[in-house]
Amino acid sequence: MMEALHNVLNFPILSLSIFLPLVGALYILLFVRGDEAARWSALAISVATFLVTLPLWLYFDTSTAHMQFEEKHMWIQAFNIHYRLGIDGISMPFILLTSFLTVVCVVSAWECITKRVKEYMIAFLVLETTLIGVFAAMDIVLFYIFWEAMLIPMYLIIGVWGGANRIYATIKFFLYTLAGSVLMLVALLAMYFKAGHTFDIQDLMAYAFDFRWQFWIWLAFFFAFAVKVPMWPVHTWLPDAHTEAPTAGSVILAGILLKMGGYGFLRFSLPMLPDASQYFVPLMVVLSLIAIIYISLVAMMQRDMKRLIAYSSIAHMGFVTLGTFMFTQQSLEGAMVNMISHGIVAGALFLCVGVMYDRLHTREIADYGGVVNVMPVFAAIFLVFAMSNVALPGTSAFIGEIMVLLGTFTVNKTVAILATISVVLSVCYTLWMYKRVVMGEALKDTVKSMLDMNAREIAYFIPLILLVVWIGLYPLPVLDVIHASVSHLAEQATTSKLGAANMLAQQAAEMASHAGGH
Amino acid sequence: MAEISFPFPFPNIWPLVPEIIVALAACGILLLDVFMPSERRHWSGFAAIITCLIAAAAGLSLSGPTQVEAFYGFFVLDPFAVFMKLLIYAATILAIVLSFEYMRNEQNIGEYYSLMLFCMLGMMLMVSASDFITMYLGMELMALCTYVLVAYQRDVLRSSEAALKYFILGALSSGLLLYGISFLYGVTGSTDFSEVGQALASAGPDARSAIVLGMVFLLAGLAFKVSAVPFHMWTPDAYEGAPTSITAFMSVAPKVAGFAILIRVMVDVMPSLQTDYVMIFSWLAVLSMAVGNLAAIAQRSIKRMLAYSTIGHVGFALLGIIAASASGYAAMLVYLSVYLFMNMGAFAIVILMRREGIQGELLDDFAGLSRVRPGYALAMGVFMFSLAGIPFMGGFWAKYAVFAAAIEAGHLYIALLGILFSVVGAFYYLRVVKYIYFDEERVAFNFVESLPMQATVAFAALVVVAIGIFPGPLMEICRAALGGIT
Repeated sequence: MMEALHNVLNFPILSLSIFLPLVGALYILLFVRGDEAARWSALAISVATFLVTLPLWLYFDTSTAHMQFEEKHMWIQAFNIHYRLGIDGISMPFILLTSFLTVVCVVSAWECITKRVKEYMIAFLVLETTLIGVFAAMDIVLFYIFWEAMLIPMYLIIGVWGGANRIYATIKFFLYTLAGSVLMLVALLAMYFKAGHTFDIQDLMAYAFDFRWQFWIWLAFFFAFAVKVPMWPVHTWLPDAHTEAPTAGSVILAGILLKMGGYGFLRFSLPMLPDASQYFVPLMVVLSLIAIIYISLVAMMQRDMKRLIAYSSIAHMGFVTLGTFMFTQQSLEGAMVNMISHGIVAGALFLCVGVMYDRLHTREIADYGGVVNVMPVFAAIFLVFAMSNVALPGTSAFIGEIMVLLGTFTVNKTVAILATISVVLSVCYTLWMYKRVVMGEALKDTVKSMLDMNAREIAYFIPLILLVVWIGLYPLPVLDVIHASVSHLAEQATTSKLGAANMLAQQAAEMASHAGGH
Repeated sequence: MAEISFPFPFPNIWPLVPEIIVALAACGILLLDVFMPSERRHWSGFAAIITCLIAAAAGLSLSGPTQVEAFYGFFVLDPFAVFMKLLIYAATILAIVLSFEYMRNEQNIGEYYSLMLFCMLGMMLMVSASDFITMYLGMELMALCTYVLVAYQRDVLRSSEAALKYFILGALSSGLLLYGISFLYGVTGSTDFSEVGQALASAGPDARSAIVLGMVFLLAGLAFKVSAVPFHMWTPDAYEGAPTSITAFMSVAPKVAGFAILIRVMVDVMPSLQTDYVMIFSWLAVLSMAVGNLAAIAQRSIKRMLAYSTIGHVGFALLGIIAASASGYAAMLVYLSVYLFMNMGAFAIVILMRREGIQGELLDDFAGLSRVRPGYALAMGVFMFSLAGIPFMGGFWAKYAVFAAAIEAGHLYIALLGILFSVVGAFYYLRVVKYIYFDEERVAFNFVESLPMQATVAFAALVVVAIGIFPGPLMEICRAALGGIT
C-alpha cells in the first residue's frame, strides 16, 4: 500500500536539485574542453541548481512540520531501502544554503584556481550533489550514503588544490570522518533489525527503543556527528583541513559540512533517542562549553588567519550543540539560525582571507598590517563579517546567539552565564586579528603592492552581506520556515519513549508466554 | 551411497557438459598450439575465452531451479553452482584478457592458456562437489595448475622461489585437509556431504573429539586455500612472484571456489557443529581483517599491498560464514561478485602501467598518473574507493551486506571490529589515490597500448559503479542462487 506523498509541486524537484549538479559534472567531464569553458559551464550549472532549489522555499508550507516535496521509490528490495526524499523546516534552509554557497565557491575560484580547473569544477558539483542529498534524504541508508560519499570529492579538493601540508590534512580529515561515521553504520543496522526491518527515518522516529538501545545508538551517532561538528576533543582535523584547503573548500567545509553534524543531532539523536539525549545533556553541555570557552582562547593565540577562523568555527558550533541540547523551542531555533548564519559568515571570512591570500600567498597575520590603506573596499567588507562573527546586533549571528542564550537561561542560568563569556572572547580574537591585519600603517612593501578587490570579488560578497544584514534585522522569514518543524522536534525530544518501550517489551513477553503456554 | 552394480548404466553426464567442454578445449589448445605459426599464437587466448563463454552458455541452459545429481551424487548442478561458476568464468575471462599483453613476449603461450583452463576446470569441480573426494580432486587440479602458473616465468628467481614456497605450503595444507577428511570418514563411514552431515548430527558424545579434530584440520586446509590468517603466509610472496595477470587470477577465482566449498561444507556437513565452526571462523575473520589491513599499510609494492588487501577482504567475506544464515551466505556472494570486478580492474591498471624494464609495481610508480592519463586515474580511483568501501561504489554494498548479516546474527562485536579495520584499510587505498592525484610525475610513463585491456578497465569500473548505484538486482540474484541449498 502506498501512502500519500506530500508534494505540492507534483514534480520530483528534490531529485532534480540533487542530480542536476551530478549530470552537470558528467557533462563537463565528457564534453567540455578548456579552462574558461569549464568555469562558465560550472557557473551555469550551479546557478541553475540554485534556481531549481528556490521553489523549495517559495512553495514551502510554513504551517506544518510534515515532510514536504516528498518522493518515495523502492530502491533495494532485499534490505527494504527506499529512495525517499523529503524536507521540513530543519533541512530546507541547508539545501538553499548549499546551492547558494556553491555558486559563490565557483565564482570565487575563477582566478585563484589555475591548475586542473575542469577537475576542480567537477569535484565541486559532485560535492554539491552529495550535500543536498544528505539534507534531503529521508531514508537513513540513503542519508548515510550521501554522508560518506561526500568524503571523496572533499578528499580530492583538499588534496589536489590545497596548501603545502595538504596531504597530511586531507588524509586526517578523511580517516577521522570515516572512523566516526562507520560507527553510525553499525548503529543504523542494529536499529534496522530492532525496529522491524525499516530504514525509514519517520518510522525510526516513531519506534520506541528502550533505554539500553537508545544509550548505545546515541553514542554511535554521537561519534559520527561530534567529529563532523566538530566538538572538542575530536576537533583536531578541522584546523588542519581548513588551513590546507583551497579557499572555496574552506567555505564549503565551514558553511555546510560542519552543519551536517548539527543537522544529524537535530534529525536523529533528538527525535529518535529522546531519553538518551536527555541522559547525555551534561556531557553535551560540558563539551559545548569547552568548545565555546577553551577553543575561543585557542583561537586567540593563532598566527594563521585560516586557523583562527577554523577555531572560531568550532567555538560557534559549540553554541549550536548547546542550543540543541537545551530542548527548548527558543534554543533549538537559535541553534538553527546560528548554523545558517555561521554558514554565511564563516564562509565569507574564509573568502576574505582568500582575497588576501590570492595577493600575497601567505595566511600569517604577521605578514599583513595596514591593509586598509591599500584596500579600503576590502577592509570595509571584511569589517562587516568580522562584526558578524562577534555577533554584533543587526547581524544574523546576533539573532542566533541571543536565542540560544535566552533559551539556555530559562533552563540553566550558570551555563548561560558561562556561554556568554564567549561573546567577549570572540570579540577579542576577531577584532584583534582585524586590528593586526587591516589597521595601522602599511609598513611592508608587499602589503603596499596589494590591489583592491575587483568587480568579480565584490560581486560575490554583496549577496553575502545582504543575507547577513537581512537575517540580522528581519529574521522573521527564516524563523517562520523553521518554526513549525522545530516545535514538532522540541515535542519529540521531550517526549519519553520509555513508556512505549515498556509496553512493547510487555507485549513481547506476553506473546512469548502465550507461545510457551500452547 | 547408491548401490553400484556392474555393468553399471551409462552415467548421466549432462550436468557435466560445461566441465567436459572445458577439459576438451584445454587439451585441444595445448595440442593445436604446437602447430600454429608463432605470429598467430594469440589465437589460443581467444580460443580460451570462447571456451569460457560456451561453457557458461551450456551451464546456463542446463541449469534448472532444482539440484541435479550426477555420478551417484559425487557431482551436483544447482543454481548455487551455476552462479559460482559464472563468477569463475568471469574471473578467468578477465584474467585471460589481462594476459594478452603481459604474456606477449613469453614462450609456450598455448600451455599458459590451457593451464588456466585446467585450473578453471578444477574450480568448477570444487564448486559442484558434493563429496569430499570430488572436492579434493578439484582442489588439487586447481592447485597444481596454479603452482605452475606462478612459476611461469621460470627464469625469474623471484617467480620460482614464490612457486616453490607456494607448492610446499600448499602440499602441507592438502595433507591437513585429507587428514581432517579421514577423521570425519572414520567417524561417519562416508565421504558424501549430506551423509556425513546426517551422521555427524546423530553422532554420540564419545565421537566428539574425533569430529572436532577432523573439523579443525578440514577447516585449516580450506582456510589455506582462501588465504585466511594464520594460513596466509604464502600469499604475499606468491602474489609478488607470479606474473601480474596470474596474480589477478589467483586473487579472485580460487577464492570464489574456496568460498563455494566453505558454504557447501558448512551447510551440508556441519550444521550440527555450528557453534564450533562459528568460533573458529570468528578468529580467522578477525585475524584476517587485522593482519591484512595492518600489514598492507607497510607495503611499497602494489602487488604485495593488494595481496594483503585480499587477505583483509577474505576476513570481511568470512563474516558471512560467521552469520551462518541465508542472508550471510548471500552477503558473501555479493562480496565476491563485487570483489571480482574491483580487484581485476585494479590489477588491469597495474599491468597497463608497465614501463621499460619496470612493471609498474611500486606505489611510487603511480605518482602523477592523473595528469598523464586522467581516464586510468579515474578508474583506479573508483577501484580504490570501492575497495575501501565508500558509497556509490560496489564495495560499499559488499561491506554493508556482510556487516548487516553479522549484526543480524548477533555478532555485533565482530562487526564493530571489522568496521574499524575497514577504516584502517581505507588508509592504504587512499594512499594510492594520493599518489595518483596529489603527487607530481616522477618518471616518464610508458603505457601498454591495448584496446582489450582498456575495455576491461572501463567495463570493470562501470560494473563497480553500477552495482554501487543499483545493488538490488545483484542482491536478489545472490539470494536466488542460494535457494537450492539453504
